[in-house]
Amino acid sequence: MQVGPSAFMALAAVLFSLGLYGAVARKSAVMVLMSLELMAVAVSLNMVALSRFVTPTEMTGQVFTIFTMVVSAAEIGLGLALVLAIYRQTRSIELTRMDTLKG
Amino acid sequence: MTETVNGIAFAILAGAAILGAVGMLTTRNVIHAAFWLLESMIAVGGLFLLLQAEYLAVVHVLVYAGAVSVLMLFVIMLTLRRREDSVRPVEVSVAGAVMALVFGGLVFAAIASYGDRVAEMPETAPDTAALGELLFSRWALPFEVASLVLLVALVAAVWWSREEKR
Amino acid sequence: MAYVALIPLLPAIAFAVLTPLSREMRNRVRWLGLVSVGGALALSLAAFAAVWPGGQEGEATYRASVPIAQVGGVDLNLGILLDPIAAIMLLVITVVGMCVQVYSLGYMHRDERVGWYFAVLSLFTAAMLALVLADNFLMLYMAWEVMGLCSYLLIGFWHEQEAPRKASQKAFLTTRVGDVGFAIGLALMYATVGSFEYDAVFAGVGQWAPGVATAVALLLLIGAMGKSAQVPLHVWLPDAMAGPTPASALIHAATMVAAGVYLVARALPIFEASGVALTITMIVGVTTALVGGVIAAVQHDIKKVLAYSTISQLGYMFVAIGAGGAIAGMFHLVTHAFFKSLLFLGAGVIIHAAHTQDMREMGGLSKHLPWTTVTFGAGALALAGVAPFSGFWSKDEILYALYTGEHYVVLVLAAAAAFVTAFYVARLWFRVFTGPAQTEHLKEGHAEMIVPMVLLAVITAAIGFTAPGFSKFLGHAGHWPDPLIAGGSTAVALAGLALGWWAYGRRSVVLNTRSLKERAGYAYDALAKKLYFDLTYEYFIIRPYMWTAEHLYRFDQKVVDGAVNGAASAWNGLTAASARFDLAVIDGVVNGLAGSARAAGRTLRKIQVGRVQTYQRYILGAVVLLMVWIVVKGA
Repeated sequence: MQVGPSAFMALAAVLFSLGLYGAVARKSAVMVLMSLELMAVAVSLNMVALSRFVTPTEMTGQVFTIFTMVVSAAEIGLGLALVLAIYRQTRSIELTRMDTLKG
Repeated sequence: MTETVNGIAFAILAGAAILGAVGMLTTRNVIHAAFWLLESMIAVGGLFLLLQAEYLAVVHVLVYAGAVSVLMLFVIMLTLRRREDSVRPVEVSVAGAVMALVFGGLVFAAIASYGDRVAEMPETAPDTAALGELLFSRWALPFEVASLVLLVALVAAVWWSREEKR
Repeated sequence: MAYVALIPLLPAIAFAVLTPLSREMRNRVRWLGLVSVGGALALSLAAFAAVWPGGQEGEATYRASVPIAQVGGVDLNLGILLDPIAAIMLLVITVVGMCVQVYSLGYMHRDERVGWYFAVLSLFTAAMLALVLADNFLMLYMAWEVMGLCSYLLIGFWHEQEAPRKASQKAFLTTRVGDVGFAIGLALMYATVGSFEYDAVFAGVGQWAPGVATAVALLLLIGAMGKSAQVPLHVWLPDAMAGPTPASALIHAATMVAAGVYLVARALPIFEASGVALTITMIVGVTTALVGGVIAAVQHDIKKVLAYSTISQLGYMFVAIGAGGAIAGMFHLVTHAFFKSLLFLGAGVIIHAAHTQDMREMGGLSKHLPWTTVTFGAGALALAGVAPFSGFWSKDEILYALYTGEHYVVLVLAAAAAFVTAFYVARLWFRVFTGPAQTEHLKEGHAEMIVPMVLLAVITAAIGFTAPGFSKFLGHAGHWPDPLIAGGSTAVALAGLALGWWAYGRRSVVLNTRSLKERAGYAYDALAKKLYFDLTYEYFIIRPYMWTAEHLYRFDQKVVDGAVNGAASAWNGLTAASARFDLAVIDGVVNGLAGSARAAGRTLRKIQVGRVQTYQRYILGAVVLLMVWIVVKGA
């Protein structure tokens, strides 16, 4: 069985779409953050696969994946800290209840 | 026939990754969801190994499986007042499903129209040492900036999540 | 010679060390700024000695550059260029900076955020030093913007109060108007030459397309006008006096506001290639010199008098450069830096002693503040242009440049400005130092406040005699004052002082403003309202802007929101009308449409639910739509 880059891209697309659905559908802040992580991982997978198949010696995709990981780690740390801070204020992490910005 | 990624290993790992993602989205228990995510992440780490990105595979498992999932679990535990709170109602979003389907369909269409032009895997795959050299020569400045970003995020996270002094 | 790079770096390091500390720690180690500026001063002296005896104009003693980025195959450098003009500026900045830092130890010692104050002061010094050392316009621009930031931070230092907060915003926005011009000018320059380096730009300046040199020069001039508070962008400087007085002395009198003059002097080849730009520079300068001078003559706040005086003197420098006397302009910049910072520091002591800034509530300070009286007197005489104090020499050179350039109209206007200057100096002096004391417990400033003032006073008294040497150092023929011009300017200065004495010195009573007010009538009124500049901006820029914004908002409310809701009611109306003569089936369809339109209206109104996830949905939906577009277009 031949597994080319399009197989990886298809898998990444599936993971990304699932993450997209989760980010929209779930109403718990933590669950939304998890879905965002899933989307980030799908992107990383794409970059690593294409780096391996297209420019294996340059490794640009791998380097960028490292930066993506840094950013998403920072994002998840900050996001969870925010969730904690909000929980302390409102005793809830339901996104539906955070509507003080209502116009 | 040139060697490519092992088809059987890919199928197993891809299946595991998708299973984890679907499990995370369908389970009603938040804690179970975190574990499903963990499973999915480990599968993706395995895929990195298949792609001969050993360093990334290890870092990925360390960061996502090790750090992020634990962090998630901590926050879930800190924000749950009773054990029963971890079980949530089933949440379905038509808008989300439509968006995800449209998006996935489009990407699939794009991939299909592109065709598998690079079916063969190049023989040479630089090892971790080469990656390290690249990171500290050509990408040295972005790499240092990335470390700074992490530091700032860390400090900010501590700052935000601290108890208010009264 | 690599130590030259350390000159701006030392204060920058001090800032970098001070900033992350806690407030208490920062306050404790505030001397760090002082030490770093002291180090920069020592290195500047060494650099000056290396450049000595100067002579060759534009010849660099030391240059070095580091590429920081590559854009389109061209290196963008951070570069250092040490030539005579830079060496002199280094000395001026570090000496005044040092004096102000020492003075601030005494002036600010009771403020609880004093550490932050010293940190910003250090950052400012670093930026100004980097600006004069820059070897390309890009680095100059970067330092320029950092200085703008520091100015903003220091004007708004007491941001708990309303006035400093507003003043800092006003300063930032007004100078931004100029900076936009500057940025466009740089872009045009880069498009023409493909480089920001001084050498590369000036080398080809003769071959530029006609008009390009004028355009670039005028755009740079707009930037300089913003920074150097030239009419009509001068309105921010008087308000900037809301900041701490020593900061005003350093930034809004001695150094930063002179950066515009420095920019024009540096870019002189472009201005000369244009010709028209030089004339415009001169016109702007002389207008500013006159306007600033006459407004200064009616202000009651001692710092505002000095602020308008600064505006007027900066105008003088522009006049000099525009008339072809760039050396005279730079010399006036140097002398002005010393005597105006001296005046500001003196004003700080006076404000501390009298607990007010209003000159009408002061008087008789000379008996209680001997040191301040003597040093302030030296600065005041220099400002008025009385020999042998420094202002006389530099003003004389400017008038001489106008005379030899045969700009006789401007010469008369400049002389008029000098007359007004002498008048308001006398007014300030007799108001503050003579007459009956109006406040009790007058106390002289601390030693750390007096010592820098004495040093600056000595420099002010002595530096004028270097006038011929200054020109030679910059590679021009030096000369001693021309008897005709010198005699004329002294006569004008003495006449102005005499008029000031006649109006304010004779009876030294507060009441005599009234007589002047009545005699001058409308003119006085116009001056007291600062020649309506602020009011003009208020009525013709700010209010129309607010009006437009208001109406756009209403348009949003009525038309856009209304379109949604209106669609529903319009459909409703249609159905109601058609119901009379249409069949029930069509009725139903139309009703259904009306209902759906209404539902759409309701749904769209939900846009402002304030729920983060709803917003997130819009973003993701937009991404998906973008994706659709890309795929459909690509296929």
